[in-house]
Amino acid sequence: MTGDPTIAGHGFSVQLPTAWEGRIYRRDAPSIAFSPKNRAAGSTGTAATQAPNGWLGEQTRAVVHLGNFPLPAVRGDYGSGAVEKMTAENTFIALLEFGPECLGTALYGSVGLPRVSPDRFDPNGLQRRLPGQAGCQYFFTEQSRPICLYVVLGSHQQAARLSAQVNRVLDRIKVDAP
Amino acid sequence: MTVLIVVLTVMVLVLCVLVVGLLRAYATILARLHQLDGGGSETAAGPAGAPPFRTADGVMPMDHAQARAPQPTRPGRTEWAAAHDIVGHGLSGEVVSVRTVTVPHDSVIVFLSSGCSGCATFWEQLADPRGLAAVGDNRVVVVTKGPDEESPSALRQLCPPDVDLVMSSAAWADYDVPGSPYVIVVDGGSGRVKGEGSGTSLTQISGLMQQAHGDGASSGGGRRIVKPRSDAEREVDVDRALLAAGIGPGHHSLYPSEDQGR
Repeated sequence: MTGDPTIAGHGFSVQLPTAWEGRIYRRDAPSIAFSPKNRAAGSTGTAATQAPNGWLGEQTRAVVHLGNFPLPAVRGDYGSGAVEKMTAENTFIALLEFGPECLGTALYGSVGLPRVSPDRFDPNGLQRRLPGQAGCQYFFTEQSRPICLYVVLGSHQQAARLSAQVNRVLDRIKVDAP
Repeated sequence: MTVLIVVLTVMVLVLCVLVVGLLRAYATILARLHQLDGGGSETAAGPAGAPPFRTADGVMPMDHAQARAPQPTRPGRTEWAAAHDIVGHGLSGEVVSVRTVTVPHDSVIVFLSSGCSGCATFWEQLADPRGLAAVGDNRVVVVTKGPDEESPSALRQLCPPDVDLVMSSAAWADYDVPGSPYVIVVDGGSGRVKGEGSGTSLTQISGLMQQAHGDGASSGGGRRIVKPRSDAEREVDVDRALLAAGIGPGHHSLYPSEDQGR
């Protein structure tokens, strides 16, 4: 594999810039509920014995993770497990698709994949506050798919430079109609 | 009576021939199934024809006997070939892209399969923090062949959940992997392979791997040079500008030909 790779799946495609890597996935719908027993089993053993990831009855949707650092194998949808490994130079982007019931709602009223603005980033915008980091969320609809864009910057002080980097990556994302 | 004994003897001989034939057919089927499982002609010591682990020039092997012996080469392969990024699928169908080139870290790529007997120790060590500690702070990626040539359900039973596993037949072809188990160490900065080979376990090859990383890190004279902040920032800016222009390590424009130099 030479040149910038393109990854595609679940209706998303991204041509990754240099040093960026990505994952596109859709979690299996959980078939069993959490219990102390299977939760404990999930911390050890093999992939086959992992505890269910999500809640019983959940309708899972496509998730895209992009980062200019090594993305770990185990990550939460909003990047938990990955953002802890970021340095000040790193950026994490997550695109999370939501169900058709969100179409037409005010939250997803904005149409088209947005570009981020440095002044939108805030340490309080993170799922969990981490020193130096800042995050922000945008909700929008693209190709009749309600989507949440969640971005984490490794350094709030470098928001202008890192958000320009994020926008260059967003330029390379394509969303297909369902 | 004599006739009966002769008839019985003939029958026993015929039965013996039949049993031997069946056993041979059974052995042939087992061998073919092993090949289909991705085991190939591997032994517990690694794939047939695969060299033992070796590292780039300037990295001395740990034992002196190996230091004196010429390092094996694989015919037709460019010495310390260019590395490749890896694109494939995870065990749950996730589309995965792993960067090994133009990144600030080194990568240890472990090529394994679910059916090879020599891979068992690697799988066990990947599940053990002490086994993973053998490769230091470098990124570890397990690469198997693609879903059409591997069994995801068997791999799910073998692979620990926190280990990055990519199913990619293209990566096997890109790195010209002779069989499993096989380990390749990639220098992220230069984008080239700096160590590769087979072995029986991660710990067996860890000494050479760590020495490869250690020598690479200390190639500037044994101690890390602390640069003024302004220099470091300028270097980052230059790197960023070059990368944005599509110029990475190994780009031909960085190595002008002799004619251009005159």
